[in-house]
Amino acid sequence: MRLFGHDLLLGQDKQHGDKVNVIPAGNASDSFHAVNGWDSSNGTAIIRIEHLSKVFASKTKTVTAVNDVSFEVNHGEIFGLLGANGAGKSTLIRILTTLLSPSSGQAFVNNYDITKDPEKIREIIGVCSQNYTSDSELTAYDNLEFYGKLENVPDSILPDRIWELLKMAGLADRAYMPVGTFSGGMKRKLEIVRAFIHRPLILFLDEPTIGLDPEARREVWQQIMMLNKENTTIILTTHYMDEAEKLCGRIAFVERGRLIALDTLENLRKLIPAGDLIEIGVDHMDPQAEEAIRNVNLVNAVSVVEHTVMISATNGSKVIPSILAVFEKFQIPIISISIRSPSLEDIFIYLTGKGLESGNGEEENAPGPGGRRPH
Amino acid sequence: MRGPIAIFKLDFKKFLSNPFIIMMTLVMPIIYLVVFGNVIGGTISHIPVGVVQEVPPYNETPLFTNAAYQLNHISQGSQNDAEKELDVTIYTDEAQAKQDLENGKIGAVIVFPSSVSNDNAVRLYVDSSDSVIPPLVEGAVNQVLLDLGADNPIIVDKIYGDITYLQFFGVGVIMMAIFTSTMFGGGIALIKDRENGIHEGYLVTPVKRSSIVMGIISSGTVRAFIAGFTIFWIDLLITGITLQSFQDFLLVLLVILIACMGVTSLVVSFASRFSSQQEYSSVIAFFNLMLFMTSGAFYPVIGMPSWLRWITVINPEYYGIAALRSIILRNQGLNVIGIDLIALLIFSSVMIVLGIVTFRRTLE
Repeated sequence: MRLFGHDLLLGQDKQHGDKVNVIPAGNASDSFHAVNGWDSSNGTAIIRIEHLSKVFASKTKTVTAVNDVSFEVNHGEIFGLLGANGAGKSTLIRILTTLLSPSSGQAFVNNYDITKDPEKIREIIGVCSQNYTSDSELTAYDNLEFYGKLENVPDSILPDRIWELLKMAGLADRAYMPVGTFSGGMKRKLEIVRAFIHRPLILFLDEPTIGLDPEARREVWQQIMMLNKENTTIILTTHYMDEAEKLCGRIAFVERGRLIALDTLENLRKLIPAGDLIEIGVDHMDPQAEEAIRNVNLVNAVSVVEHTVMISATNGSKVIPSILAVFEKFQIPIISISIRSPSLEDIFIYLTGKGLESGNGEEENAPGPGGRRPH
Repeated sequence: MRGPIAIFKLDFKKFLSNPFIIMMTLVMPIIYLVVFGNVIGGTISHIPVGVVQEVPPYNETPLFTNAAYQLNHISQGSQNDAEKELDVTIYTDEAQAKQDLENGKIGAVIVFPSSVSNDNAVRLYVDSSDSVIPPLVEGAVNQVLLDLGADNPIIVDKIYGDITYLQFFGVGVIMMAIFTSTMFGGGIALIKDRENGIHEGYLVTPVKRSSIVMGIISSGTVRAFIAGFTIFWIDLLITGITLQSFQDFLLVLLVILIACMGVTSLVVSFASRFSSQQEYSSVIAFFNLMLFMTSGAFYPVIGMPSWLRWITVINPEYYGIAALRSIILRNQGLNVIGIDLIALLIFSSVMIVLGIVTFRRTLE
């Protein structure tokens, strides 16, 4: 499994003659964080989206999957699209990869209009879709060979490239086995390496690490970072906050088809009014108690997600006694309590009023009580 | 009982949620009824026949004049929709008439004796590769002679020898094999890929939709060719037909190949519009039967009502079967089957273009 990361590095070493440091998987997180400080402001836009919308109409219901979204992705960055299931991330990716046409608005990939020059765009992108798209009747090798040919990889280098990718994915010993016999994680890895068989200019990864075990995820992350060092622009959708935190230079929050925030992690953190997050585990919650907590001094927002009351407060440790007093007054037993500094997930919850895992982008329910939405 | 009921409900819900399938299950049998009934039960009319008198001497006998007139005015069916049974062409040259019979322009030649004939026999030359027309023509001649009170003997000459119905039908089965293998070959592979999401993977690559369609059509054609060629051999073994020359063999291969292209491109251009295997299968099964029934494999096309014959005009199987019969049963060459081949080629080209144009390059 560890081969995944190492062989990639060695492989690149051979190919380009560059001196690349081999990052042991265990210490990888340090270098991941380095990416976060990466400054994207100087980059030139490689993807430009202007007022893009996509409406799916059926007899019973009309769903606006993408709602008037505008943003730019800079050359050479790892751009994260974050949102709950059904938020419109995949639709947005599918529009940018020419699989769907937008209902309105415009988008340009490397200056090519997605509706006018889809063929040009297909030549410079690599896509790893959320679904398995490898042919399960073919072997891993045959699948890669098929895509290599479709992506115009020259025949002279194709076999070497396929073996390089198979080793990267740790699938070299299974090269001649049908993909149908692979585990979910193996299929996923094959899918990812397949997406960049032709060394694309832009790589779209739709939920790349879904269903992978933690070690495999880390290997995929390393791979993504390596590709990015090779100047590949990467657009990544995920609903794993840690993934976005570790990889992405800039992060866009998408909710119900709308772009609700877009910035570097550092700047996003600043969106939360200086404060900590207090999580209190309870069996049940009283709405009156919730209201009372909201009125406590220094408390900025309160939301209840299942059995957890989440309170964002300036100087959390000082506020706790007052909050505990409220719980006592309403006679709500506390099961657990914790205080921490805001993570990306907290920012998301703060902005949307709900957690990533629980959401359904199509629901029309109002944002949680602590929610505040810029739009 | 909860399990079976749950499965029943699930299945039924799916059935009801797909109006297309409901329509196909209900409407298809009715269409089959109408089409099948007309294909096989139709009355045969307007059979082209040539009538000629032996020479010399060159003066027409009363028997010839009267018989030619009467043959041309035999009607079929009830009084209201009476149709002429035979379309008579009068020839002056017996050799020319036989030539036209050999080239398939007419279905029979009736030669009346001259005034100085020895045996006074009426000779009837029939295209015996067709098992339905000859008895009808023979019956008509018999009746006319009876009506005229003439007691001339009739000598029937089957110009292609005795050809059984099995041999007549066997040729049609070659085309059916081609269609069936295409149905489950090229087309369904395309839809399976679409259904399984494999399409999503390669639609984002620079491959052109014309490449996708052409690739699928060529693989389907080869597959269909293998099927058609195999059935051709089995057909020869079962029906005991022997080909007359190596040239005939090559022509058969050519016809099978072009027919495979035509049928495969039809199926693929259809398949490129469908996204569900179930819908596609029901439509294509319907097509399979419709095209096979109207191809003339079972029964001569001449027996079909005119509205059904319009279907044969755009039916690639009809041209395929016509060409194969010409070669296998009648030893005819390119001069006869050329028109069938051209029709098949035009059909294939139209279908390939249609397939490319209608192929959906997006997921919508």
